[in-house]
Amino acid sequence: MKINKIILGIGLSCALALPACESVIEVGPEFAEDGSQIFTSLNDYELALTGAYSLFRQVGYFGNGGQTTGAWSVLPDLMSDNLVQTAEDLANWQNQINLEYSTDDADVAASWIAAYSVIGQANLVLRNIEQFSETDPERVNRIKGQALAIRGMVHFDLLRYWGVEFERNSTALGVPYKTIVDINDMPRRLTVEETYDNIFRDLEEAETLLGDVDQEINTSNRAYIDQLTVQAILARVNLYAEEYAAAESYATMVIEQMPLADMDDFQAIWGDASTEEVIWAVSFNAGEGSPASSVFNAPSNRNRARPATPLLESYDMGDDIRYGTYFSTRSLSGNSRNILSKFIGRGSAEDNLVDWKVFRTGEMYLIRAEARARQAGKEALGLADLNELRAARIVGYTPVNLSGQALLDAIALERRKELVGEGHRFFDLKRTTRTLTRTDSDLASTNLSVSPDAIEWVWPIPQGEIDANPNIADQQTPGYN
Amino acid sequence: MRKLLLLSMALVLCLLQQAMAQSRTVSGRVTEQGTGEGLPGVSVAIKGTSTGTNTGIDGGYTITVPNDNATLVFKFIGMATQEVAVGGRSTVNVTLSPDNQQLNEVVVTGYTTQTRRETAGSIAVVEAEEVAMVPLGSFDQALQGKAPGILVQANSGQPGAAANILIRGRGSILGSNEPLYVLDGIQISANDFASLNPADFASFNILKDAAATSVYGSRGANGVIVITSKKGAAGKTRFNYNVQYGFSKAPESGIELMNSNQKLDYELMRGNPYRWDADDLARLRQIDTDWGDVFFQTGRTANHTVSASGGAGKTTFYLSGSVFDQTGTVQNTGLERYTGRANIETNAGNFTFGINSTVGVSDFTNTSENNTGIATPLNAINWTNPYETPYDADGNYTQIYSGQPNALQELLENSNLRKQIKGVGNVYVSYDAPFLPGLVLRTSWGGDFRSNETTSFVNPTTYSGQFSTGGSGSFGRGYSRDFRYTGTTSASYSKDFGTEHTLTVALFNEIVSSNGRNFSFTGYGLGGPFQNEAGITPGNATNGFIPSVGGGGVENALLSYFTNINYGFRDRYYLTLGARRDGSSRFGANRRYANFGSVGFSWIVSDEAFMEGLTDVFNQLKFKVSYGSSGNQAGIGSFESRELYGRAIYNGVFGLAQTQLANPDLQWERKNIFNTGLEFATLNGRLRATVEYYNSLTTDLFLNRQLSRTTGYSELTSNIGELQNRGFEFFLDGDIIATENFTWTANVNLTRNQNEVKQLVGEGDNDIIEGVIITREGESMNSIYVVPFAGVNPDNGNALYRTLDGELTETYDPSNRVIVGSAEVPFFGGFGSAINFKGLELNAFFSFQRGNTVYNNDLNNVTNPAYFYDNMSVELLNEWQQPGDITNVPRAGNRYRSATTRFVEDGNFLRLRNLNLSYTLPTRLVSAIKLNSLRVFVQGQNLVTWTDFRGWDPEIAGVSLTGAQYPALRTVTFGLNVGL
Repeated sequence: MKINKIILGIGLSCALALPACESVIEVGPEFAEDGSQIFTSLNDYELALTGAYSLFRQVGYFGNGGQTTGAWSVLPDLMSDNLVQTAEDLANWQNQINLEYSTDDADVAASWIAAYSVIGQANLVLRNIEQFSETDPERVNRIKGQALAIRGMVHFDLLRYWGVEFERNSTALGVPYKTIVDINDMPRRLTVEETYDNIFRDLEEAETLLGDVDQEINTSNRAYIDQLTVQAILARVNLYAEEYAAAESYATMVIEQMPLADMDDFQAIWGDASTEEVIWAVSFNAGEGSPASSVFNAPSNRNRARPATPLLESYDMGDDIRYGTYFSTRSLSGNSRNILSKFIGRGSAEDNLVDWKVFRTGEMYLIRAEARARQAGKEALGLADLNELRAARIVGYTPVNLSGQALLDAIALERRKELVGEGHRFFDLKRTTRTLTRTDSDLASTNLSVSPDAIEWVWPIPQGEIDANPNIADQQTPGYN
Repeated sequence: MRKLLLLSMALVLCLLQQAMAQSRTVSGRVTEQGTGEGLPGVSVAIKGTSTGTNTGIDGGYTITVPNDNATLVFKFIGMATQEVAVGGRSTVNVTLSPDNQQLNEVVVTGYTTQTRRETAGSIAVVEAEEVAMVPLGSFDQALQGKAPGILVQANSGQPGAAANILIRGRGSILGSNEPLYVLDGIQISANDFASLNPADFASFNILKDAAATSVYGSRGANGVIVITSKKGAAGKTRFNYNVQYGFSKAPESGIELMNSNQKLDYELMRGNPYRWDADDLARLRQIDTDWGDVFFQTGRTANHTVSASGGAGKTTFYLSGSVFDQTGTVQNTGLERYTGRANIETNAGNFTFGINSTVGVSDFTNTSENNTGIATPLNAINWTNPYETPYDADGNYTQIYSGQPNALQELLENSNLRKQIKGVGNVYVSYDAPFLPGLVLRTSWGGDFRSNETTSFVNPTTYSGQFSTGGSGSFGRGYSRDFRYTGTTSASYSKDFGTEHTLTVALFNEIVSSNGRNFSFTGYGLGGPFQNEAGITPGNATNGFIPSVGGGGVENALLSYFTNINYGFRDRYYLTLGARRDGSSRFGANRRYANFGSVGFSWIVSDEAFMEGLTDVFNQLKFKVSYGSSGNQAGIGSFESRELYGRAIYNGVFGLAQTQLANPDLQWERKNIFNTGLEFATLNGRLRATVEYYNSLTTDLFLNRQLSRTTGYSELTSNIGELQNRGFEFFLDGDIIATENFTWTANVNLTRNQNEVKQLVGEGDNDIIEGVIITREGESMNSIYVVPFAGVNPDNGNALYRTLDGELTETYDPSNRVIVGSAEVPFFGGFGSAINFKGLELNAFFSFQRGNTVYNNDLNNVTNPAYFYDNMSVELLNEWQQPGDITNVPRAGNRYRSATTRFVEDGNFLRLRNLNLSYTLPTRLVSAIKLNSLRVFVQGQNLVTWTDFRGWDPEIAGVSLTGAQYPALRTVTFGLNVGL
């Protein structure tokens, strides 16, 4: 019958056309790389390393966002007595600034995942990179050394918020340490000691590898982690771990290679016109967000958080070059307000677009001063460090003579004055007195004091992690449920 | 694919060589019963073939029949279809009478057409004339309340804005819930209709159940809206000119804000944050700006459509052109649209060739909406203090005291323009095989082309201008181009076996392929007089004006084979089978193909012998039932199953960062739908009703499998979970009075939908909570989950909350959250009535929704005491002040909590959607001035809304009224329809 022929004919033509049709749905991504197609050469590893650095700009790490702000840039100052939340903030960062977070806090969760995403990208760089060790060892050293340093430092940053204690051998809860790429991995929290073991292993290996590389890592600026940066990281980690001799030793290494800035150049550092005493600065360019827009928001003239008056009053306003460099005033509707102008922008721009200085020599002096002051018999050296730093910042400075607790207090105050806004104060309080007292406030909602036994010194593991990861479910930070 | 096209053309060509059978010509005239006048545009077809013609202006026709056994079928919308055997006659005259038998209505199932009698599927038909003259830029908005099962929510009154449409509830949590739109067989993009002229459309067929949608396979799960455009009819060319002019007004807001005195008093009570002195206060109390008046305007609408349709011999055409010009109720917003259409069809022997084509050019002027941005003008209406003014005494923009931007300056000085060019069209050829009557081969190829060119000018003097890179304004231009082609090739065969069996078998092949590209740039440092590229200062190392550039693209494709089989027995038992196999580029190699299918059965009960005694009661009674599946693949990325690395720049150096994890097992969502219903007519066909029940279950739901965050990811899109939608639909349509000079009709449609999450990821406590929204097993999707607010403790002014045990507490604890409603609308519909007396007609149409809840974030924003630098709700005047105060507003210093029942409101509303008064002049009057018809009308859109909702407009698609709402237009237009 004819119908059979017709159906046969159509069937045949379909059958003939089928292979051609199949190609219609063979479509691949053109604006992204398919993961199965890359990591075939060291060039791909180099691209992925650059990707890891770019992730530091995430909102939740150094970047500032609309509702979540840079956990390791300005937030530790917002969470302290250095800055005072004003009504101009429109209550945006109410929870963080007042240390009112619970296990389901979105910002805590954002910071946790941001840090682990940097680690994840570093682990992608480290995965199977040894396959090129034979053919191109120095290039592998350069890439692998940076990735290891990133992994070690970011885990340390996690420990700063989530570590229950900081002492090197503490058996209190630390953080999970990720070294593998596996989406089904469900890690447990290590102890603080175990976390440090991993951090030191990675950083020390990085320091070694970065001593033998194929080309200079930082040429025009200080955007990448090189051997010097790793030493600075180790100085900071050792200070937290109360390993004062090592902290002193690493700080010394850095200071010898990167001296303090001249007074004349100090101002230029903040507008990225000078890289003096900048050890590592995460690069921010137009369109890449800002590390500091949530303090004084320059484009909108919105003073979300003002410098605390007691802090301002602690400076020698006339002679301390930091005062005029760090602070300024801006008026709104005729009212003049004090602002933190440290991160206002480059050149004459007022757009909060500056590189984020993660490590500076000024901090190295303060690390060494404290590390020495806390070591028996080295107090005088510590005092000398403090005086040397002040002399570099204060015109016509007359050295002081301090010892014991007075010296430690002076170093602590100097840390505030030198590092205000740079993301240290909350951790310094957590590391030392575990006491926050705010004597200056604008809003009725401001939390005025946090006592040493408060649970807020340690962040909770985000509820999402607890829900998704059965191995960590019984390891919530004590005090949270 | 090209190969396929060539092959099918070759196939068609070789069939052409077959000899023509013996034939002769029959002619006649079709008249209307009652008037006796000729009926133009009646379809005259030879039964069992696709050969046919249309009657001319006087009702005359001529057709070639193959032999004396031919039967002619005369069809006309609104008239009963007649079948007449030709026999030996050469003249066949027919008189058609009005059709009260709704079952003879033709429904378009997308790939085929059926009569309502045959179809087992759930298909609602909306006649395009109900939509054509509604003065809205996007036709989907006009479908509100028109048919059961379809929920249309305006969501925005911005000219040209698309509505949110849900067919039988929300069937996907992460994936898309948009129906598939098909215009003349071509898939067109959802939510982008402003460049199409609804007056070009003939009908909307809304396909709801599996029997209707399974032939759309992986795209059918959210329902399908099949649109057909108008076709010409042979005969004298008919011209139509439609024009309307009108104006629109913004509604009143349901949020009452403070006036100047109230606000200043409140500030004083809260410690005078701006430190006003007595002189300031005296001055400011004199000012009382209504910021609504500042931003709102009377919108204007002008709409012209000219069309010509007709044909000669074997060629018919429909041509049209239109202009639509609407300004919104917010200053500096509007839509200007120009469209043209040409539909031409011609018969040559056994071939039918045709083209449907339309091009639209639209200029949109938009303002941002649905956000909480402080630079958004629609927020400034609520937030700016009433004692401020937009301009100072010299006519310059003022600086707002709180440091918020002057939103009028933002609105008037900055611009956001979009020019869209959209073309939709297809060419088709079909071949009626002469050697085998009933075999039709057809291929249709066409596409939906869209280009959008956006420009954005940010004036350096504005607040946003200071935020631009370099702090001095910006100008950006972006261009996107999207093209999706649909190619469908089919063979269908229809045959009657004996007198009792009819069979249609159709086989299809289809390719749908999308490709889009876009790029954009933004330049900075705007200076001089230019508001375009000429104003950009090139960037260098010191000025900071580094331009930004971007671009991207999408690509995906679908390859399908499907079949549709209809079998009829004794003209009263009908069986429909559909099956489709789809291959999609979106999914991994191991999940690339999926199969969908359905079976449907319909039974004309009233034709049974046992019903004979009841035919006076049930003039017609039909039972139908269907079961089957369709799928969903939209709403996720084009390459969601692959591990991807995207561009990641650091320090000006190119890098790659992982952006997506691999999931090779990702596949389609699948929706299984059961549907059954009754359709009946009674009272001599004057009352017609449809009742349907449906139950659909989405399985393999796209859901996020939670990962340990230590992977750097929180989740991975996977296929887990089940979601159910079930409900009833009811439709009633009646001719209450039907006399020659006076008619009164009424109709009502109601839908009851119950949404229930059946299964989520994992065991135990697996709720998905995002803000105030919870998705929980056993509950409706998008349930609102907040702590019950229970007033204020009179002793200390602290807010009181209710615990799960019913106790009152001052402690806000998220563990006391309860579900207080859902954003999914459980009950909605529309009803209308029309009275016509000698051509004077009054028509009212209402729509409503009931039972949903809305989280009113807009209200929250003016209630939070921390925001007292800006204007606030008058409710705060009742703030607790001292012990003993009985109030519902906590003291200002009490920790403010927004996730409470304080901001949860009912979404119920009833709206007079359309009120239309028209007069159609009697034929004798219009013929005197050489016209065919003349109608004048005045109509009002959204004139009245009954609601308790505290906002501009309760018609919100989604859980939360975020802020910056652009309310639906209230429009009155006057118009004229002229036919000649």
